[in-house]
Amino acid sequence: MSTGTAQRPVIRAIVGSLLAGALALGVAHALLGRAFENLATDTDDRSGIVALNALTAVVQSPQSSDDTLRRTVQGWQTRTSGITASRIVRIAGAELLASTAAHDSVEAEAPRRLERDEKPLFDMAQRLRSAVNLNRDEGAPRKNEIEVESLPKGGRSFSGPFVEDGEISGLVQVQSIDTAVPRRPSWWITLGLILMVVGCAVVPAFVFRRRSRVATWGAVGAGAIGLIAALTLHGSFATKALMEAQAQGDAAIAARARSQADAVSAVIPGDVATEDSLAPGAWDTDVYRRSRGRLTADATILPAPPMPSVFGKSLFLLFAFALVLLATTVLGGFHALGRALRDNRVAYAYILPAIVGMALLVYFPFVYGVVLSFTDSTLYNANQGVAETWIGLRNYADIIFDFNVFSHGDNGWVVNYSNFYWTLFFTIVWTITNVTIGVTVGLALALVLNIKNLWFKPLYRVVLILPWAVPNYITALVWKGMFHRQFGVINQVLEIFGRQPISWFDNPLSSFATALATNGWLSFPFMMVVSMGALQSIPEELYEAAEVDGASWRQRFFAITLPALRPALVPAIILSVIWTFNMFNVIYLVTGGEPSGATEILVTQAYKFAFERYRYGYAAAYSTIIFMILLVYGIFQNRVSRATEA
Amino acid sequence: MSNDLASLPPIEAPSLRKRVASVGRYIAGIRADRASGRPGQRRWMHVAAHAFLLLMVAITLYPLLWVTTIAFSGSQSLAIVDLPEHATRWDRVRAVIPWPSTWSSQNFVSVLSDQPFGKWLFNSFLVSFGATILGLGIACSAAYAFSRLTFPGRRVGMLSFLVSQMFPGTLMMIPLYIVLVQWLNLGSSRLGLILAYATTSVPFSVWMLKGYFDTIPKDLEEAALIEGATTGQIFFRVILPLAKPALAVTALFSFMSAWNEFILAATFMNEEGMYTAPVGLRFFVGGFSQQWGYFAAGALITALPVTILFLFLQRYLVSGLTAGSVKG
Amino acid sequence: MTPRLVLALAALTIAKASLAEDLVVWHAYRAEEKAALETIAAQYNATHASKGVTIKTLAVPFDALADKISAAVPRGRGADIFIYAQDRLGGWIETGNVIEPLDFFLDKATRARYLPLTLQAMTYRGTVYGLPVNFKVIALIYNKKLVPAPPKTTTELVAIAKKLTSKASGRFGLAYSYADFYYHAALMNGFGGRVFEAGPKAVIDNPQNIQSMDLLLQWIYTDKILPAEPSTALVTALFNEEKTGMVFSGPWFLSEISKSIDYGIAPLPLIDEAGGKPMRPWVTVEGAFIAAPCKNKDAAYEFIKYLTDASSAKVMAIKGRQTPANKEVYSDPSVASNPVLKAFKSQVDVSVPMPNIAEMSMMWSPVTIAIGSIVKRGATPKEALATAQKALTADMANLRRK
Repeated sequence: MSTGTAQRPVIRAIVGSLLAGALALGVAHALLGRAFENLATDTDDRSGIVALNALTAVVQSPQSSDDTLRRTVQGWQTRTSGITASRIVRIAGAELLASTAAHDSVEAEAPRRLERDEKPLFDMAQRLRSAVNLNRDEGAPRKNEIEVESLPKGGRSFSGPFVEDGEISGLVQVQSIDTAVPRRPSWWITLGLILMVVGCAVVPAFVFRRRSRVATWGAVGAGAIGLIAALTLHGSFATKALMEAQAQGDAAIAARARSQADAVSAVIPGDVATEDSLAPGAWDTDVYRRSRGRLTADATILPAPPMPSVFGKSLFLLFAFALVLLATTVLGGFHALGRALRDNRVAYAYILPAIVGMALLVYFPFVYGVVLSFTDSTLYNANQGVAETWIGLRNYADIIFDFNVFSHGDNGWVVNYSNFYWTLFFTIVWTITNVTIGVTVGLALALVLNIKNLWFKPLYRVVLILPWAVPNYITALVWKGMFHRQFGVINQVLEIFGRQPISWFDNPLSSFATALATNGWLSFPFMMVVSMGALQSIPEELYEAAEVDGASWRQRFFAITLPALRPALVPAIILSVIWTFNMFNVIYLVTGGEPSGATEILVTQAYKFAFERYRYGYAAAYSTIIFMILLVYGIFQNRVSRATEA
Repeated sequence: MSNDLASLPPIEAPSLRKRVASVGRYIAGIRADRASGRPGQRRWMHVAAHAFLLLMVAITLYPLLWVTTIAFSGSQSLAIVDLPEHATRWDRVRAVIPWPSTWSSQNFVSVLSDQPFGKWLFNSFLVSFGATILGLGIACSAAYAFSRLTFPGRRVGMLSFLVSQMFPGTLMMIPLYIVLVQWLNLGSSRLGLILAYATTSVPFSVWMLKGYFDTIPKDLEEAALIEGATTGQIFFRVILPLAKPALAVTALFSFMSAWNEFILAATFMNEEGMYTAPVGLRFFVGGFSQQWGYFAAGALITALPVTILFLFLQRYLVSGLTAGSVKG
Repeated sequence: MTPRLVLALAALTIAKASLAEDLVVWHAYRAEEKAALETIAAQYNATHASKGVTIKTLAVPFDALADKISAAVPRGRGADIFIYAQDRLGGWIETGNVIEPLDFFLDKATRARYLPLTLQAMTYRGTVYGLPVNFKVIALIYNKKLVPAPPKTTTELVAIAKKLTSKASGRFGLAYSYADFYYHAALMNGFGGRVFEAGPKAVIDNPQNIQSMDLLLQWIYTDKILPAEPSTALVTALFNEEKTGMVFSGPWFLSEISKSIDYGIAPLPLIDEAGGKPMRPWVTVEGAFIAAPCKNKDAAYEFIKYLTDASSAKVMAIKGRQTPANKEVYSDPSVASNPVLKAFKSQVDVSVPMPNIAEMSMMWSPVTIAIGSIVKRGATPKEALATAQKALTADMANLRRK
């Protein structure tokens, strides 16, 4: 063994642990940095909201009239640090009651009607009003009652509603400059911890460098331990630093609240000072105007709640990623990958266009859907990020653990048709029957049309693909019409033969039959065309040889035709199972789920969750489950038929 | 599958010229066959075949005759069974035969003259044709690699095409819009639609073609290699001609899926002049208003080009060249 | 200072360029209605050419319009103005960045020119979001040959219908899609029923709704004046083949009637079973909405104001055969003398705007299942509506779950 190969585990251990350590601790570093920034932003928000709530108390105090308002607001602002402008807008008459903005005090003095470019201000006032009413009606906070916006020139604006005569009548807005300075996480600690990980991994690799296997796995194991230790250490540093930062923030807010109490009492005569100004701690609210619970009424700081971990669940994920990176590098994964790419570049070049197209137009939407399935994204919170709406596996649990398939009603046991398992059952029955019909009829026709010297073959072929060619929106509707109780032809035919007419859509079985007939009619031409193509791959000589050997028709079919059709037919069957499973149109157009939603399939349910019930996350989970079912089927079928291996 | 073909007698490596000659021999064989054989058995088989085919033709055509009836009725309502007070059996038989009470071409005239339906058909043709060519090109190259080359990730690659079909498409609208319109800026362009349609048909095409390529014996390529053909020549001169039936199937499938697509075309196109025929058709039914007469007429007009395409393609669909070649 | 000057100039040119921009209007109109809208847009372009704004219209099939708006508009790639019914209003407002509120622009005079209930349909949580263009409401459409004088009350309706009904030959006095809740709502509202109360809270199982279902069952099974499985397609076919004398349907139905049929339109009858109160159908109002990302909202508002003024409404009514929401137009002689417009106008006066809250879309599935099993006598109205109520309440709670 040469020195070169002996060095390889060591080099890989260094590179791998460096990459893994840099990834894990780099991300941890960035997360901590963001936590500091969030804390600073949060402190600025709280400071602004305290000022906003204080000003609202001023505006709402019985003492202030429209005439004195502007002076009062001005007075308040001079006693308040960090506020650059304040505005009071009344919705009725779109009136700017008071403003301390530089532009308004010189060129367009309040009170005046809002100008057209100030429409957003008016709209915001209305939005806040309806948010307050909505939250009151629903008895739960759903929409922001205070809106925080970043200003283009830096700083932020805070807007909240104010009340006149018991009704929300307008908006109070203050603009503030950002003052809180976020701490920076220390690079030295991060670098030190990365080096620690590298050290852990390199030692066993170096010691056992002559025994490559031990060295490699030793490096992976020791590197993993090093990663855990480094992340834990980093976590404890982070928690301590954040606790300190938060305590500072609380102190600043408490001071702010007390100074605001003074400012409010100064601009409103002491004898009418409202309850609010006596309890400045209550001004420290969130955007729903609920107390944050960090201060008492007189603005003393309450003991801090236990600090939640900065990383939470992402810590484990981070560790897993880093470990994979470490193991892949140390075990030579990247080396192998590079070689595979080089060696098979011709093959990859052939499939590249297809993969790129799929990646853009199919896989991206797919990933989008899967991510969505882990959130509780609905109509009401669709604009929030994934992090805020993340609920893990709850949607899946809700769907899978709902076993309420049968329920006991007044008339005995009834099937709960909207339950996932009923729908799944129905979907499977629907798929199997449809594909069976499509394949049987299609294949039979193709075989018959393959008979040598049969007359009119081209004509038959053209006529038989017509169901595929005519838009199914109308043919499905004609089929539905044919099954009408009184005016449909099917029942007329039954009556010609002396049978009783049937109410096709009244029970699940006959309703299913109508959709089955329609879809069978729509789908056999596709299977026929595929089979016709596939039949051409069978050498005629095989039949001749078989005939000479005295094989019967049946033997020839099962020994020659069917096996020869497999390579082309199996993919078509797998795909048509998948398509039928998700066949939205026919069910929708023919049965419409009748009776009582018994003939819904999974995809129509998913559609309803998304577009009727506005539960995007839940619908995505439903779709992902559909996908998983089909994936299991696809892999299973693929293994059974070995369709990928000729 | 490979086992079945492997059990064939070994094929000597003949030249391509010889192979062509063998096709001729094969056809001659068929002619000879026609002359000989067991006439009695064959005649009965043909009668049974015609009976079955006629039954299927009847089932196929019956609903379509109702569509035709609606289209030529000149009015907008779906056809219903019309019976007198005390209906006899004969009345019922007459009632189930699709036949308009009056014939009128008014619906066709309105569909073609009230809106630029011809232009929309032309757009449909451009887009479907583009999507078919592009999709087939991409799929052929990928299928060839999957069939003839071994490389890591081959199984996963094949499976990933299958997987792409599994996620319900109804929920894909917004992400697809983000990719095509926001990122690639292909909103309101034919190219955007062509791309979208081509990629939706690629998975089927790859699987279909790969399956078919697998049945083409490798000896043919080896023979061509010995004669000094390049990989490209082999692909275009040997493989593709032999795979005509599969190419016809995939082309028809690609064309058909693009031809009948409605929602993407209506969402991505921002000019009426860019709409496709299915979009134009949907103007007649939607919301409360449902003018089925116009829709039926439009549907028949739309189905016509596809049928003609099939007339043209079916030659390739049943071109049994492979069979002859295998014989060698 | 030169770079700054260049920048300022550039900004000016950009500002000018954006002034000459097109305003794009998306709508789902076809045939005459489309022609009417295009006429109005052309008139506007001709008379307001000096403002540098050109209106362009794009017809989108109805089945695609909502999806197209939802996909394009919030991403700033869609129309500046779109015309749609109020039923999606709540959903789009809750989504955000789709529809611009209009209260700021709306003055008293403009508010006053619409039928009050059409403006109400455009109002969501106290804010007006669109200007009403046309309304659609169902009325009684009858074959003058079979029904010389339209019934004024449900008793008369049943009496006339019974005479025309002969089930064996497939003749029915009355036909409408009663299993479609939209059509049934006329009876439900007539009895004083409703689907939602403030909150919003679901109240499908209220006693008035049950009463309305009972009357429907009486029409189907006791009086036997209605056909089974009544799809809209079947109703049209029956009317065109003179197999029914009366239908409940809206203005869209008129373009589906065969030319050979002489029809009349009358208000829906008074419900004797509800003490002579009128049937009160749901009104859908097509509003013109300004897209939230629209860059020239002032100009957009000018256009939709023009689109809904009396002279445009007249074009909509006469040329487009629509029922405008502008009430001033109904005193115009050419409109007042039109029996179709007159009938729908008198119907809308006793109608109820279809709720525009987002929860409305959740209602259809459970209610359709309920009404389906009621009319097939699979469940009593009380049971079926209770089930629907349970399902809808659960769906609404799930939407709000944290």
